[in-house]
Amino acid sequence: MSVSHKITSILPGVIAILSLSACNGILEDIYDTPEPEETKIYGFIAVDDNTHTGRIYLDATDYTEWHYIDLHGKSVTTAIVDAETPANWDLAIHRYDAKTNGGAVTESTAAGFGMLPAISSIPEEAFAADEWTTDKITVDMSQMMDGIIRYAEDWYNPCLSGWLHVDTSTMPPVYTLSGRIYLLRLSDGTCAALRLTDFMNDAAVKGFMTIDYLYPVQP
Amino acid sequence: MTGRTTIFLLLGLLLAVDAAAQRRISGTVTGDRREPLTGATILVKEIAGLGAVTDTEGRYELRLPDKKEYTLTATYIGYFDAKQTLAADHGGVLDFQLNENPTLLEQVVVTGTRTPKLLKDVPIVTRVIAESDIRRTDATNIGDLLQTELPGIEFSYSMNQQTSLNMAGFGGNSVLFLVDGERLAGETLDNVDYSRLNMDNVQRIEIVKGAASSLYGSNAVGGVVNIISRESQEPWSVNVNGRYGAHNEQRYGGSAGFNRGRFNSMTNVQYTSIDAIDLSKGTDNTQVGDYSNIYGHSTLNVKERLIFTAAEGLRFTARAGYFFRERNSSESLRDRYRSFTGGLKGNYTVTDKDDLELSYSFDQYDKSDYLVAGGRDVRDYSNVQHTLRTLYNHTFASRHILTAGGDYMRDYLMSYQFEGNGSHIQHTADVFAQLDWNPHEKFNLIAGLRLDWFSETKLTHLSPKLGLMYKLGSCSLRGSYAGGFRAPTLKEMYMNFYMGNIFMIYGNPDLRPESSHNFSLSAEYMKGRHNLTVTGFYNIVDGRITTAWNQALGGQVYTNMSRLQVAGVDANASGRYPCGISWRLSYAYTYEHIGKGEPMLSSTRPHTATARIAYDKDWKNYGLSVALSGRYLSKVTTDIYTEITSYEKTEKRTYPGYTIWKLSLSQRVWRGVSVTLAVDNLFNYRPRYYYSNSPTTTGTVCSAGLSLDIEQMFKKK
Repeated sequence: MSVSHKITSILPGVIAILSLSACNGILEDIYDTPEPEETKIYGFIAVDDNTHTGRIYLDATDYTEWHYIDLHGKSVTTAIVDAETPANWDLAIHRYDAKTNGGAVTESTAAGFGMLPAISSIPEEAFAADEWTTDKITVDMSQMMDGIIRYAEDWYNPCLSGWLHVDTSTMPPVYTLSGRIYLLRLSDGTCAALRLTDFMNDAAVKGFMTIDYLYPVQP
Repeated sequence: MTGRTTIFLLLGLLLAVDAAAQRRISGTVTGDRREPLTGATILVKEIAGLGAVTDTEGRYELRLPDKKEYTLTATYIGYFDAKQTLAADHGGVLDFQLNENPTLLEQVVVTGTRTPKLLKDVPIVTRVIAESDIRRTDATNIGDLLQTELPGIEFSYSMNQQTSLNMAGFGGNSVLFLVDGERLAGETLDNVDYSRLNMDNVQRIEIVKGAASSLYGSNAVGGVVNIISRESQEPWSVNVNGRYGAHNEQRYGGSAGFNRGRFNSMTNVQYTSIDAIDLSKGTDNTQVGDYSNIYGHSTLNVKERLIFTAAEGLRFTARAGYFFRERNSSESLRDRYRSFTGGLKGNYTVTDKDDLELSYSFDQYDKSDYLVAGGRDVRDYSNVQHTLRTLYNHTFASRHILTAGGDYMRDYLMSYQFEGNGSHIQHTADVFAQLDWNPHEKFNLIAGLRLDWFSETKLTHLSPKLGLMYKLGSCSLRGSYAGGFRAPTLKEMYMNFYMGNIFMIYGNPDLRPESSHNFSLSAEYMKGRHNLTVTGFYNIVDGRITTAWNQALGGQVYTNMSRLQVAGVDANASGRYPCGISWRLSYAYTYEHIGKGEPMLSSTRPHTATARIAYDKDWKNYGLSVALSGRYLSKVTTDIYTEITSYEKTEKRTYPGYTIWKLSLSQRVWRGVSVTLAVDNLFNYRPRYYYSNSPTTTGTVCSAGLSLDIEQMFKKK
């Protein structure tokens, strides 16, 4: 097949593709393309053993799920709300809510993990333990517009859950990240530093939680 | 000396005497703001056929045969005639300054008939907002302008502070917005992006209330708003302008145009921005309304239009535009809106009786989310429309016009509200014809029919129109019947959206089109410098499309609603005097009626009015324009559902009425230099509670603006 013949045979296809592309708009390249969620990895997506830091990425879009994070074993287990908790876990995330496994949390003003205060210098009363709640863990929003929201009775850590403030007085709600680092003292006495860096995926869908951590924090 | 030589000498002497007796008169014809009027006519009353036409700088020159007293009249479309008596011994310079005619009856309009026609001769009631009115209001976009100028129009907020229109009971998707006759792609909550329609380089706006689907097809149910761009008149022109106001509101614009030989070009750039408005400021209450903070935003609008006259009667217009808006809706996310526009149009005057227009138009409207944290800009909505159009006019018996045309549109929509961020395509096509019959100078009949076809619904729809006009002395009576319709959109047919992770909204491919019957009667009285127009209208609207809760699906589904009837009266009175004072008073009454026992969910205010009194005067080196304008909106009581998943219970809600006044002062301080100062919300109105239809004012605010017409600085005076 001659070159000119090849070009002639390809040309209609090229024109068709070009015209189709122009038909459906121009300058698509000025936008960023989000990665498909199905190709994404969840859980501990980055772990640096040298600095003891890492990043956890969760799909917490489902109102009916808790995501149990085991900082010791670097694993995440997802379970339905009201279901039995896994054997080993340190904190758990439901949408933007957080609870701990018998731990306590305090909010720090440190700008980074390298600037944390000594744990021993923080007064005991600054740490907040979990509370048993009946009106925090939302499991059914389908009748929210009618003022009916179904909640699960569960533990809830008000301090750690303050990493994202959701103002529902307006529609749609206004989301504000605190940007703060939270110090979580686990039941075994070790301590973790946590910061919620994002609550959306790269397609701006809310409920995808990106948490940076340092564990264990040097006492 | 021979006899022949004697005759030549005598003739030469006579000619010399004649030349000595001639007088050369020259001068300029300018408008209200001393802008030169190109193409104005100067006529000499005493000598039929003697006159002159002004050039592009408004200059004229003519020669009078002797030194007698003459009366010269300057005329220009849209302006009052000016008459001056030239004394017997006067020669040299005679300048005219014309006052704009506020009634605009001599204005050429196109929207009601799709052919150029004088406003006074159009059988379809058309309201024109002229360039001078636009300038007076100092409006940035179409929303600001329409609310200031017309009663019965209200822009408020729907969910998420998205702008929503109500025009005499009709929402944004029932009023068709056009720019030079072209539709706009894209919508948010059933409204086009009104901030795309800035008032930079607009010559006039034509508003036809009532159905107009026989000419414009789908969406022209409640009215058509057509924005007509201005062509460059000067050989060259450059303008820069800026305005600063409360809440750090900034507006900067610039334009450059030329009009040379076969080319006429105009380029406009405008940038606006405003900070967030804290509605609770100055109060001890953080919950001052449905919302307490108005998002800050910025816009950039660039447009270019190039006209090439290839030959006499053959003209091509190319245009391109880019629009960008960013809204700071949260710390982590900004909403971005863009449009890319282009088009090519050819106008060919085949004979003095036939003209043909062919055009191609492209419009793309994108929405994207800018994620501040990662600096990513992710598009989740794109509407792309390609339109081909042809329009043919034939004039017969020198006074009747037959118009025929057709359109094809490819409508592509990708949306986050479709399953998997998918897309759908619809093809639409139509043909239409209209007869403009003028059997007598006092009587005009217009009849039209249009057939529309939509590929996705396999819908064909026929839209008729009949209009009559009868002139009786200073009075013009108009009556019309028009059919309107709105085809289901791709969004309404295919939506599959999990609304805020709360409930689903489903599209419905089986939707019927909305259809309407519009009846209108109008009387216009014009005497001297006063004009009074009263219009009564009645609309029957069937099959309105909205969402309703579906128990079986456990979500909302698009569905057709029951019949709505809308009736009302528009009244408009205006006057303008040579001393520079002008006034306008407009009132609209709207009454909506729905079936017995059904809730009235619309929040159309029954009584609305706008008023303006202005003083405009120009001297040689100074010009002054002062305008006081106000708008009144009455309170309205409506039904709202108490539950979204059950349409059993409703409760009454009353939205309070309000009045807002604005005072503006514009001064031309030197050649082409204008300074504008404005005080908005003059009497410091502040809502007790900010509903979505409350004005987002926090009290009296001021603004200051400066405009420089560079070309004026280089003109000889």
